[in-house]
This record gives sequence, structure tokens and C-alpha cells, in this order.
Amino acid sequence: MNRPMPRPFSLLAEITHRCPLHCPYCSNPLQLAAQRDELTTEDWKRVLAQAAELGVLHVGFSGGEPLQRPDLVELVAAARAAGLYSNLITSSLGLSRQRLEELKRAGLDSIQISFQSDEEKLADRIAGTSAHAKKLQAAQWVREFGFPLTINTVLHRGNIERLPQIISLAEQLSAERLELANTQYYGWAFKNRAVLLPSRSQVERATEIATAARKRLLGKMELLFVVPDYYSDRPKPCMNGWGQRHLTVNPVGEVLPCPTAHEIKSLRFDNVCEKSLAWIWRESEAFNRFRGTEWMPDPCRTCEFQEVDFGGCRCQAALITGDAAVTDPTCQFSPQRERLTQFVESSQNELNGSSSNPVEMLYRQNSGI
Amino acid sequence: MRPKLSSRARLQTDKVTGKPIVLYPEGVLMLNPTGHAIVSLCTGAVTFQQIVANLAARYKIPEPEISPQVAEYLNRLRERNLLEMQHGNEAAP
Repeated sequence: MNRPMPRPFSLLAEITHRCPLHCPYCSNPLQLAAQRDELTTEDWKRVLAQAAELGVLHVGFSGGEPLQRPDLVELVAAARAAGLYSNLITSSLGLSRQRLEELKRAGLDSIQISFQSDEEKLADRIAGTSAHAKKLQAAQWVREFGFPLTINTVLHRGNIERLPQIISLAEQLSAERLELANTQYYGWAFKNRAVLLPSRSQVERATEIATAARKRLLGKMELLFVVPDYYSDRPKPCMNGWGQRHLTVNPVGEVLPCPTAHEIKSLRFDNVCEKSLAWIWRESEAFNRFRGTEWMPDPCRTCEFQEVDFGGCRCQAALITGDAAVTDPTCQFSPQRERLTQFVESSQNELNGSSSNPVEMLYRQNSGI
Repeated sequence: MRPKLSSRARLQTDKVTGKPIVLYPEGVLMLNPTGHAIVSLCTGAVTFQQIVANLAARYKIPEPEISPQVAEYLNRLRERNLLEMQHGNEAAP
């Protein structure tokens, strides 16, 4: 079937992997990019201009911690000049009034701050560093400067019980958007999934709380609840389809169809230092490998949902089954669903039985970068 | 009540299609000509009634007919948190 080439709408610019936080649910690769290998300012400016030409409308400056790059303001200005709507996705560590003023002048459109929880002790324990108090201060400054503020909290066993308080915190900070993202198990999170996975009843309760809050806050604060797909019968429509709407450029310039595509070891990613973004989007092996429906195996091949969820997540298939080209194992029709269910069930037993014997959590290590 | 496009949103022309779009955090609205006309009038300086009158004259549709459509469109913008309501003197210019 010949379909028209889709247009990308969003670019995630992972400008560095360096980060002052050590969150155990980080979806960055276990092998982090070294500072000396990062793209230069000029490289990023070229990427931003090429992205806008290709149709991209939104750019998220992310990482790692994007504030670690001293040229961030310059990159934001380049995004604005290209007509892109820019979002700074940050821990807020490294943010100051002066930096905010410079970012405002450069044309930054919005800011997203991560919070690990609503309460300092727990939040700092999750982040692996003292960060919470600085975040509260930064969020206040962000509002002072008139930036739209998104709060993002990754939910897992350690903080999901705090959901009502987390929602209250976002309201107190006058956030305009709250993203409650149940942990997606890639990178460091996959390594830590036995510790991070909440129980089924915790997830059900959280879903109820988030649904009620969304209704209550309609028109005031947008609330997004990312479902935990280990507990779902249906896979998520990952990236709205592979190579359909999104590009990620990592710190060294490799272009990925999704931020975690590094999990698929059989894929080779082209680099913006060697090829144009347009060529990579249209022609590269990585973007065409799972584009459309041609690649699909059974049961996706004949499934009525193939245009609804696009076979789910390729990275998840790779991580759990070792083969990126099979149906996402969270799908009830996947022959591999049983394997995932067993993992989920065994973790329930552990939750119910051995709370006195917690599994060790592995913090993300930045050493050597 | 004078509707104003939220400061978190930006109205601009799409490079690919040449058509008007509204960009906001994590989202985009592709505007049709009517939507564009409505959004362009959401400046905070014009009342709801004045928007209706303007569009009624422009598209030669009776005000009572177009009024609920404008209200519905504005409501959709408001639900996305893309509209600020400036309260004040209804008779303001």
C-alpha cells in the first residue's frame, strides 16, 4: 500500500545526558553519552531549522538536564526564529531568575518541571539528591515570568499513594498542565521495574483519583494520566505510530523514531552530522523499519486494532521478548502476554508478602560523563 | 466578557500548509477560515456580542444563527485552557 509520507509534528532535542538527578526510573540509556561527544551549538541550530522546514511545530529541549548546556538560550532563540513552539523539559536545577529572564527574551514558550513527589523527604530520596525545595522556588519564578507551567510526575510504587497531594501541589503552584505519567519501563526503569511497579489496586485507585481530578479541573488545569500498560489489556498507541509524527535527536546527533528506540539493538541510527533531517525522516532504515502496517506479524496483521494502536510499542517488544518486530506483549492477543502477566503477578505476591524485605533500587549513575 | 487568546497559545501560519494554526503546550489546532476569524477576534478588546456581529456581517448569516456556533467554538477553546476571559465594561470599544 502506498501512503503519503507523514509529517513530523514534534522534535525532542535531548541536548545532553548530563543530569544532577539520579532517578531510578530514568528512560535514558544505561550507556549515557559523554559531554565531549555532544553536538555543538551550530549543529543544534541546523537541526532546529531543518526540523521546522520538515513541518515540526513543537520542540522539547530535554536531556538529561538541558540547563547543563550553557548555550541553551541561544538554542531557544534559534527555535523561535524557526517558528517552533518551544518547551523546556527540566528538573529546574540550574534555573535562576536571570536565566529565566534570558530564556523569556529568547522566546521560550513554556516550561515543564519534574517533581518526584509532593513531599520533600520522599521526593529527594527518589531523585537521589536534594532537589525538591529548589524546584518549589523555581516553579514560583516560572509563574512570575509568565511562562505556562507543566508539572510532570512519574508515578511508581514509591509515590503513587501521594497522588491527591501531588495534584494539590500542582494546583498550589498554578500549573496549567499536570502530567501524571505511570513509569514506562525502559532504560533504568526497566532495570528497576521489580521495585517500581505499583500494585494493581494502587493503579486502580490512582486512575479513579486522576479521572475525578481531571473532571474537576477542566478549563483550569489540563490533567494527563499516562496509563501503566503492564496493567492494560491493550497496548498504547506508541508515538501514534512509528515514524508518523515524532523525531528524537539524542546528545550525539543520532535521530530516533522515539526517545527509547536505543533499546532496539538491531537498529542503526543515522546522525545529523552526516545526513539531513529530511533524508533521515524519509529514507533512513530506522524510520522505515516499523512505519505503516507492512512490517506487522500475526496477530497484528489481521487485527481490527492495527490502525488504533499500531501494534503497540516496539521498544517494549524488544525488551520483553528480545524481538522488536513482534506484537507488544502488553496486548491481550500477544502470544507473549503470559510472560508479562507472570512478572506482574509475582510482583503482586512480593508486594503483599515481603514489604520488610525491599528489593534494592538502582539509582541512575552519571559518573564518567 | 471579552475573550482573549491565552498567552500560552500562539497564532501563526503553518509553513507546510500555509494555513493558520494555534500552537500551545503539547498541542496544535488547525484552523478553518471560520475558526481563524473567531480566534483573530479573541484579542481581549472585543466582546462576545461584537464578535458575533462582526462574523454575522462578514458571512451574511443572521446573528441568532451564528451566535450558538461562536459560543460552542469559544467553549472548546476554553476547555483546552486556551482562552482568558477579560471581565469589564461590556460596552467597551
